[in-house]
Amino acid sequence: MAEIVLNAISKSFGSTKAVADLDLTVRNGEFVVLLGPTGAGKTTTLRLIAGLEKPEAGSVAIDGMDVTETPTSARNVAFVFQQYSLYPHYSVFENLAFPLKAPGQNLTAAQIKTRVQEIAELLRIDHKLENSATALSGGEMQRVAIGRALVRNPTVFLMDEPLSSLDAKLREDLRVELKRIQRDLGATIVYVTHDQLEAMTLADRIGVLDEGKLVQIGDPREVYETPASVYVAQRLGSPQINLLAVGMLELPSVPPSATTLGIRPEDILLDRSEGAVAKVINVEHLGVETVILLELAGQHLHALLGDAASLEEGAEIAIGVREGAVLFFDADGKRVDPLKAGVSEEAVYGT
Amino acid sequence: MTDQPSGRSADSLTDRVARATPGAVVQRVRGLSDTAIAWLFISPTILLLLAINIFPLIWTVYLSFTNYRANRPGRAIDWVGTRNYERLLGNEDIWGYLQATAHFVVWTMVIQVFIGLSLALLINRNFKGASFWTTVILIPMMLSPAVVGTFWTYLYQPQTGIFSYIINLFVAVGPVDMIGSVDLAPWSIIIVDTWMWTPYIMLLCLAGLRSIPEYLYEAAEIDRANTWQKFWYITLPRIMPFLMLAVLFRGIENFKMFDMVVELTSGGPGSTTEVASINLKREAFEKWRTGYSSAFAVILFVTVFGLGNIYVKALNKVKQ
Repeated sequence: MAEIVLNAISKSFGSTKAVADLDLTVRNGEFVVLLGPTGAGKTTTLRLIAGLEKPEAGSVAIDGMDVTETPTSARNVAFVFQQYSLYPHYSVFENLAFPLKAPGQNLTAAQIKTRVQEIAELLRIDHKLENSATALSGGEMQRVAIGRALVRNPTVFLMDEPLSSLDAKLREDLRVELKRIQRDLGATIVYVTHDQLEAMTLADRIGVLDEGKLVQIGDPREVYETPASVYVAQRLGSPQINLLAVGMLELPSVPPSATTLGIRPEDILLDRSEGAVAKVINVEHLGVETVILLELAGQHLHALLGDAASLEEGAEIAIGVREGAVLFFDADGKRVDPLKAGVSEEAVYGT
Repeated sequence: MTDQPSGRSADSLTDRVARATPGAVVQRVRGLSDTAIAWLFISPTILLLLAINIFPLIWTVYLSFTNYRANRPGRAIDWVGTRNYERLLGNEDIWGYLQATAHFVVWTMVIQVFIGLSLALLINRNFKGASFWTTVILIPMMLSPAVVGTFWTYLYQPQTGIFSYIINLFVAVGPVDMIGSVDLAPWSIIIVDTWMWTPYIMLLCLAGLRSIPEYLYEAAEIDRANTWQKFWYITLPRIMPFLMLAVLFRGIENFKMFDMVVELTSGGPGSTTEVASINLKREAFEKWRTGYSSAFAVILFVTVFGLGNIYVKALNKVKQ
């Protein structure tokens, strides 16, 4: 298996910088998820690792070998394309068998058949093997695309939103399946998504991209709990983190450079005896949890409650914040660590 | 119109047409069903087709069973049954003409597909000046076959022509008489047809190549296919419908090849290049055996029609 090292890599399309001076190390057997909105450079990063794009600057190394000038076919990477990229004029079987017919594979027809059958059963497309690749639903095409990557044993898996067009149930199943495959094979996977749930559940480490730059990388909890900036904080968590100006809530202490408060919906406490008074705008019961939309001084806030709160719309309630759960951001959107800012009262932070 | 409110000016043309239509016409058109109106619109075309395509076809089939001669209009037309067909199919010369035609069609198609596809693959590499060379390659196709035939007879001149001269640069065989030699005459037409129509095959192949999405090659690259596999498993299957269509069009045209043969060899020497259409013209308008030549025309028509249909079935299968 393999380690991937991207060293100060850059790629532009015309005047747009898709990836700018990006450093990334993916350890052997690690599942790294690249998260970011459309245009953040996620797909370009994957294509640079695969060699489908040539970098303008920087280098790519796989398994300690500099492969910057190596053509894709010699890198032994598997790529799951977002738009499936199946061979439309072939059947599902032929699509899955194609990677096994590459020069140097030297497999017999029977071996190929067995291998394709295994993968097809794993992805539950074995009943569609004789179908034309174009006569499939979006979800089936995506599974064939994943199958084509799994069918041979590459050193690295690169996946570009592989679950985006599947229905919720299948997506959940495949998420578990992918994680299992990765553990079983000890595979190194770089996975691109804009779905924060996928990122949180699949990743060993999450890398958050913004305009071609890697703004933070770390294990999911770390990125969630101590985001480097407002931008990162907004990428994870549903509903999104609430952002308030300093002074809208009474807090025991605020670092002097902080201008914005970030409060996760689950950290908002309702029905306090004292505190800022907010108005309940909307209550959504989602079964296990309840999402409450509040209005505080003209600004909307989301609160997430574990129990089915019996709140009425239009009611006025006092709200508070779980102690030590507030994130502080400065005028540039960077997180300010209250400990480093020297505010002793906030010592409970981060426990 | 400008002083109208803008909301009404959008449909004012329809309004004005409606107002300008005489009441009687409005009544009559309103009384028609959709089907009737559809027929009304396509009937001029249908009448034209019937008059210049269908009727002559049926009339030819009828004449093929008679001893009619178009240069003797006063003579009674006798029904001779299948005698014309019997004579045709029993005539060994006819098989010779059909063989000459088949030889011409098969070789032009094989050579043109090979060169046309190669050129298309080259042009598709988008090198500098590719569009200039495309235009240059297309020039022969834009010329009139009569002109092409005439100037190639000059090029083919054994003593003064440049063709013979160039051959002699490579192999010193002396004057090469392309048109006058029994062995070379069929190839003289094949070469000119290839020179003229390869660009057409290239153009359709190029259209096919341009329609192949880049991602298929990226996927193949990921699947570690080599250049040959990419051509064999992606390029060729994807351009096959285009290639087959080009061959269909050119094959039918070449089956009927007439003008260039007349200009170059007129069927000679002897009857080595007497393709079917040349012989047909001779029988019909030199010997005036109208009934007999009608039968020949019907046989040719059925052959092309039959082969064309089989071919189109294959084409549809390739396209799926």
